[in-house]
Amino acid sequence: MRLEIDYSRCTGLGICEAEAPDLFEIQEDGSLSLLVERPTADSRAAAQAAVAGCPTEAIRIVED
Amino acid sequence: MSIDIFEDEDEVTFLAATNVDKPEHSAVDISTKAFWAKPSEEREQIFKVLRETDPVSWQRPVEDAVTPDPDDPGYWALTKHADIAQVSRDHETFISGQGVLFDMLPPIFLEMSQSFLAMDPPRHDKLRALVSAAFTPKQIKRIEDKVLVAAKETVDAIAAKGSVEFVSECAEVLPVRMFCELFGVPDHLRAQTAAAAADVVAWADPEILGERSADEVQVEACSILHEIAEEMIEARRANPTDDLFTSLMNAEVDGQRLDDFEIGAFFILMAVAGTDTTKHTTSLTVKAMTEFPEQRAWLMEDFEGRIGPAIDEFIRFASPVMTFRRTAVKETELGGRKILPGDKVVMFYPSANQDADVFEAPETFDLSRQVNPHMGFGGGGIHFCLGNQLAKSMLRAMFRELLTRIPDFAAGEPELLGTNFMRGVKRMPVTFTPETS
Repeated sequence: MRLEIDYSRCTGLGICEAEAPDLFEIQEDGSLSLLVERPTADSRAAAQAAVAGCPTEAIRIVED
Repeated sequence: MSIDIFEDEDEVTFLAATNVDKPEHSAVDISTKAFWAKPSEEREQIFKVLRETDPVSWQRPVEDAVTPDPDDPGYWALTKHADIAQVSRDHETFISGQGVLFDMLPPIFLEMSQSFLAMDPPRHDKLRALVSAAFTPKQIKRIEDKVLVAAKETVDAIAAKGSVEFVSECAEVLPVRMFCELFGVPDHLRAQTAAAAADVVAWADPEILGERSADEVQVEACSILHEIAEEMIEARRANPTDDLFTSLMNAEVDGQRLDDFEIGAFFILMAVAGTDTTKHTTSLTVKAMTEFPEQRAWLMEDFEGRIGPAIDEFIRFASPVMTFRRTAVKETELGGRKILPGDKVVMFYPSANQDADVFEAPETFDLSRQVNPHMGFGGGGIHFCLGNQLAKSMLRAMFRELLTRIPDFAAGEPELLGTNFMRGVKRMPVTFTPETS
């Protein structure tokens, strides 16, 4: 499982960080940092919650 | 007033609505004053009919608009969750720059109060970015202690009384205080700020209007808030402070600072969005907990473990913001209907929040609801509620205090705000066993 961010869609709201603080972090300047590009299976539920919660559909889980 | 600053080359030309290719106005009429005067349970019965038989219905213009437009042919009414999500997420087809309110309001009011709410990219994104970094999870966590103290002190002031007018003594106190702290509104201006912010969204409520016309009340409320902003600007020019207001004054957009009028409009948008919504959700949730005592008991069995998802149900069930509008700028299709450039589409969020395609037993206040993609913060997309996490933080702190200190609170009959924008409570008696210290 790999996480992909479409930075052109991200508005820096941080719902992903609220759902999965180990995977996503909004920086002081408002931009999003992906902390873990390839999360382990333990983080799957949190990653899915972040994808579902993002109001601008900026996050994708890619299975590869 | 230099409003010219908004007129850059990215602005689209105003598109007038057309009568072309429209069906008859729907027989299920949700534009009447009578419809909006009904309690929300009765409105929901009518929304349900539309969701099931005519989910994207063509409606006549809203009755008794504040500033009626004789050439207005009507609007498309969106009642399904999926259609509202489609429109909310496609800001290139459905723009906000031609207004976002269901009612037709005086242009001066909109200029004074809407700021980036009624803008499109790129200007929208730049203005919103000026404050969005203050509302991220880490920032909200940083002010959590302040929220907890404010919630505790709010309940301190009522806990021994046993009987209160809940809206003014409790529900509005916490959000107003947090807004004022974040934006640095000085103590002597707080009561006035709260009263004017409430007037801004109360335009069709007969009691609040009294003898005055709706535009009189609104423009007056906006003028008061602009004056407060002016006073705060003056004070900060002499002594800069460490708050959001000073950062707004110092921020540059495209190499230019915001002028005083733009700061004022921004301040009004934040004052209304940051206070009224949470205030009404608090009151409506106290009412819901009175009607569904088993839900309150279930939450109290494990408050910390259950409050997270429960808050989403508070918001779904309250649905305080009832309507926002967009304008189509491209031909497209919605729920099988052909939408033409210039057509207005109005999103009815309480209807989306009762959509049985999305919510199991939507009419039930169910705090254990697992799947809850409610539209209390909007239908997604770039205008999604900026303050959503602060709102949740305040609701969590407030209900922790209420449920642990005066756990048998019981709401009497609420007096509801009579508008088609905000589902609000003006007054509501609440009684409880007084806390003994």
